[in-house]
Amino acid sequence: MADLRRLDELLRAEAGDAGCSAGEAILDAYVELELAGEDPARVFPGTAIHLQSCPGCRADHDGLLEAARRFADVTPE
Amino acid sequence: MTSSQNSGDRDRESEQWVEQLRPGHPRREQAVAALREALLRVAFHELSRRRGQLAAIRGPELEDLAHQAATDALMNILARLDDFQGRSRFTTWAYKFVVFEVSAKVARHAWRRYPPHELALDRLPDALAPRPGDRLEQREQLQALSAAIDALTARQREVFVAIALNDVPIDVLARELATNRNAIYKNLFDARRNLRASMAAAGHPIRNAA
Repeated sequence: MADLRRLDELLRAEAGDAGCSAGEAILDAYVELELAGEDPARVFPGTAIHLQSCPGCRADHDGLLEAARRFADVTPE
Repeated sequence: MTSSQNSGDRDRESEQWVEQLRPGHPRREQAVAALREALLRVAFHELSRRRGQLAAIRGPELEDLAHQAATDALMNILARLDDFQGRSRFTTWAYKFVVFEVSAKVARHAWRRYPPHELALDRLPDALAPRPGDRLEQREQLQALSAAIDALTARQREVFVAIALNDVPIDVLARELATNRNAIYKNLFDARRNLRASMAAAGHPIRNAA
């Protein structure tokens, strides 16, 4: 159930939100910047805003970040 | 090792992946097998991370989902090798495909089993009803929110109520309404923006979330 004490969260709608499709295309690059300790919001500000508001894309982002961290040491040989 | 050396190693490793996965390469079979194994590990991990949406799933069914996600992702990756632009490690790019596959398969599974009464899309939750301990200001704010929700378009209202108030997963709702996440998110965004405007007009402006 939603926390109605956080109406600011519940009604979050920021200008510049890039939407779902834009984020899907660059999610790997976004995550790679995070892994390198850089701020992906500087390169992909619209996706950074979107990830705060879209629960589906946020779940995908969190999954990819975790997978890329845990299973990075894989080679084709 | 410096970071540029690290990044050079990563680039070489990515090139190696792309090269060896191309048809005709003598080591293609091993590379495909190594990639499939990695994708399967990620699929299992991702399914476990999303197990909250997979309450009723049994062991063999879970295993089947992981294998399907890994296989579908692998096919997609092999068909789109030329799309890899090196903006991330090859493995990060490849894992994106399997995460998306798991995400879609979990949504389909969750939607089939979602309790129908919880998908009553225009049902306002009890949380919007004033409670005895509420301060006058809170009561007025909730009343203004209820009125603002009523004034939304039918689609904006059902999307906002389902996702923001009743916690229906966005991809489950997308399946229920026979559309996609992007379209549902657009409805949600417009609903939120309209609600903010209505709340402000009613004397209850909402500050931006931190």
